[in-house]
Amino acid sequence: MDSIEMPRVSRRSFVIGAAAAGTGLAIGLKLPPFGPDVVRAADGSPEVTAWVVIKPDDTVVIRIARSEMGQGTLTGLAQMVAEELECDWSKVTTEYPTPGQSVKRKRAWGDFSTGGSRGIRNSHDYVRKGGAAARMMLVQAAADAWKVPVAECSAANSMVTHNPSGRKVSYGKVAEAAARLTPPKDVPLKDPKDWKIIGKPVKRLDTVDKLTGKQVYGFDLKLPGMLNAAIMECPVFGGKVKSFDAAKVSGRKGVKKVLPVGDSAVAVVADTWWQAKTALDALPIVWDEGPNAKVSSASIAEINKAGLDADQAFVGNKAGDAKGALAGAAKKVEAVYAYPFQNHAPMEPMNATAKYTADKCEVWVPTQNGEAAFAATLAASGLPADKCEVYKIHLGGGFGRRGAFHDYVTQAVRIAKQMPGVPVKLLWSREEDMRQGRFHPVTQCKLVGGFDASNNFTGLHMRISGQSILASVRPQAMKDGMDPATFQGLAPSGEFEFGYKGIPNYLIDHAMRNPHVPPGFWRGVNINQNAIYIECFMDELAAAAKQDPLEFRRKLMAKNPKHLAVLNAVAERAGWGKPAPKGVFRGLAQMKAFDSYVAACAEVSVSGGNKVKIHRIICATDPGHAVNPAQIERQIAGSFVYGLSALFEQECTVKNGRIEQENFNTYGSMKIAQMPKVESIVMPSGGFWGGVGEPTICVAAPAVLNAMAAAMGGKRIRSFPLKNHGITLV
Amino acid sequence: MGVKSRRRFLTVAGGLAAATLAPAPRAQIMRTPLNHMPAVIRRLVGVRSITKGRVKLDVPPLVENGHLVPLSVHVDSPMTAANHVKAIHVFTERNPLPEMVTFRLGPRAGRARVTTRVRLADTQNVVAIAELSDGSFWSDTTHVIVTLAACLEEAPV
Repeated sequence: MDSIEMPRVSRRSFVIGAAAAGTGLAIGLKLPPFGPDVVRAADGSPEVTAWVVIKPDDTVVIRIARSEMGQGTLTGLAQMVAEELECDWSKVTTEYPTPGQSVKRKRAWGDFSTGGSRGIRNSHDYVRKGGAAARMMLVQAAADAWKVPVAECSAANSMVTHNPSGRKVSYGKVAEAAARLTPPKDVPLKDPKDWKIIGKPVKRLDTVDKLTGKQVYGFDLKLPGMLNAAIMECPVFGGKVKSFDAAKVSGRKGVKKVLPVGDSAVAVVADTWWQAKTALDALPIVWDEGPNAKVSSASIAEINKAGLDADQAFVGNKAGDAKGALAGAAKKVEAVYAYPFQNHAPMEPMNATAKYTADKCEVWVPTQNGEAAFAATLAASGLPADKCEVYKIHLGGGFGRRGAFHDYVTQAVRIAKQMPGVPVKLLWSREEDMRQGRFHPVTQCKLVGGFDASNNFTGLHMRISGQSILASVRPQAMKDGMDPATFQGLAPSGEFEFGYKGIPNYLIDHAMRNPHVPPGFWRGVNINQNAIYIECFMDELAAAAKQDPLEFRRKLMAKNPKHLAVLNAVAERAGWGKPAPKGVFRGLAQMKAFDSYVAACAEVSVSGGNKVKIHRIICATDPGHAVNPAQIERQIAGSFVYGLSALFEQECTVKNGRIEQENFNTYGSMKIAQMPKVESIVMPSGGFWGGVGEPTICVAAPAVLNAMAAAMGGKRIRSFPLKNHGITLV
Repeated sequence: MGVKSRRRFLTVAGGLAAATLAPAPRAQIMRTPLNHMPAVIRRLVGVRSITKGRVKLDVPPLVENGHLVPLSVHVDSPMTAANHVKAIHVFTERNPLPEMVTFRLGPRAGRARVTTRVRLADTQNVVAIAELSDGSFWSDTTHVIVTLAACLEEAPV
């Protein structure tokens, strides 16, 4: 690398106002008059390493780069640092470094992005090393003060002990000296069998503030002198603003400005958000709807249907000669499935608060990726990095909407730039949030399975037809035109490895058909529909072969032992093979996703042909390591709420180029009374680190669908959501 | 800040970089691999050396998805017939092709300043090299973080 430029370190510490503090403390790099060597937090407490600040009273502040959005990553990461640090867990607090600090300090905390179920599995190594290095430095500092060899000292519970003499000192007292030491280059980590905090179901660090109402969300933010903005972007994607008649609403009480935002949106800024929103509703806007104003769900479906039989397709996975096997098959089974657009619909709509002057642009925003929000701020403000800052706030739901897309940050900065010096809180209405999603992509799937004369399953062709996410969001990741993410759960190897390598001939390919509706990463991304497609079809094949669905699968999974292990675990817990209670039927599903192996078994009854009751659903996950088993169980249950809501209730339809569903009356979700009992089997097999936030979401729907088919005498439903078939969850 | 503390800060930053940015095991973090940029640059300059300086590469330190990145290069040069910039080359170390763009200039350009928009595949170093009329080469390098690259799951093999 070329010569390192000394980062400019400001002598001012920047402090986040109490209202915006979230988990509290500010991070500043105040250089004290006494000894310029130590980097300090805003209150003067020393950084032992960039990951760990220790206060004189032994409070430990752990820096967390990833974002907490209810998934528990904040606590899990803190557990890992604390494990190696050997600190008193009851004195642990956390703090978000800002992305501006990250750029200044050459990404001392690594990647900020929180998505793809990667928060723990991609950071575990270096955050543990950050904690371990701090511990080593604290022990060294104590040993130096006592003038004894380091080897005679040990650390536990925020205390360093000189073992031969029994002398003790607390971390708080040696932190200052430790912070002046050079961090060690070689940082060995504990053997997992020695873990005391990792692997334990410790209480989350963020629960209390949520219960007491102390937790501040972007939605709640209040800054001195702040104005509020409501916005509407052209509801037809790709359209623009032709004109708007500001005069019609400018005189309204509280309305300060009516502004264009980019070339496709209009905002009203007022004293209160309600004044802004009602003025915006009354504002006449003429849209230039652009080329997609005639697109509908039907027109998209027609295009996708044609792709099912198209000659050209991108091959994602194959073995043997599927086409040959199918051509020579004695019996064939064929089915076509379809999956709709869906919106993330987090409880907290998109929002961002921005304040712009020629010297500084600051943004307060709930984001899954502080660095991406910072990048959007740089681009929209036109200011250099050292004049911008983003303050991360806890999210009222992310699910993938707030990771790769910061359109709301761009909008907020553009508005603030037109009102210099004034903090402006931009808050989307629910309707705007539903219209301007980044949608779960729409696809159809045609599956053809072949059996030979001896009833052996010999070949499978799985053709996916429909939207690619990466083609729109990140074309650089395409491989010769193919979108590899389309094949999640169906891939030849890796994080999303296909679970049925025992099928002698298979071909899994994708006819790409991209509509104008902007796609995004909905929780699970492409495993939601892929799991339904393959796992429901496996049951259809088993039925055609008159074999038990579990036995049918097992025979094909000899090369997939870990996939099989979770499948067997749920089957065994459910009592598969033993009779179920009267009227109750069982269904299974399994997949590998985000490097974890997951399976589910649902017990379901159906009455009146259309009322479904889920009595019980069992989930098994093997994520390699389990940092907080209690949190994993909650993630499993939460993912089932999200996934089953989607299955039963959720669809975004397109009419006249725009999304029709604008609120929860037409886009529902599960209620508490409908929620089944979820039993979790967390079975980490060690040796790898798999994700938790997403994988399990994909197995609930196919397990329930397979159970429903069993309950309905083999009747299959192949398009979703189920409410479209008059099916309700009771 | 004195020299001693500067060194100390760099040691901390460097040590932390080693400790905190160590590559994760197995294929958890899949970075776009390095391309053959060093060979391509060597082919351009031959046996001559490249000096850091006189070139100012202006590209944001952080971009959202690398789709459309504004980039400009300015070279300090009088741009006379006797003393001017002949070419400005921009290279990247992780794009599929290391050569990004070459601008050819002469004294009639008036000044050596070019602006364009480029696409970046991943977090990486971007290198601008100016070729002067006296045969010398000057350069500037900027590290650009592409945040969306990290947002995505590892592509299956």
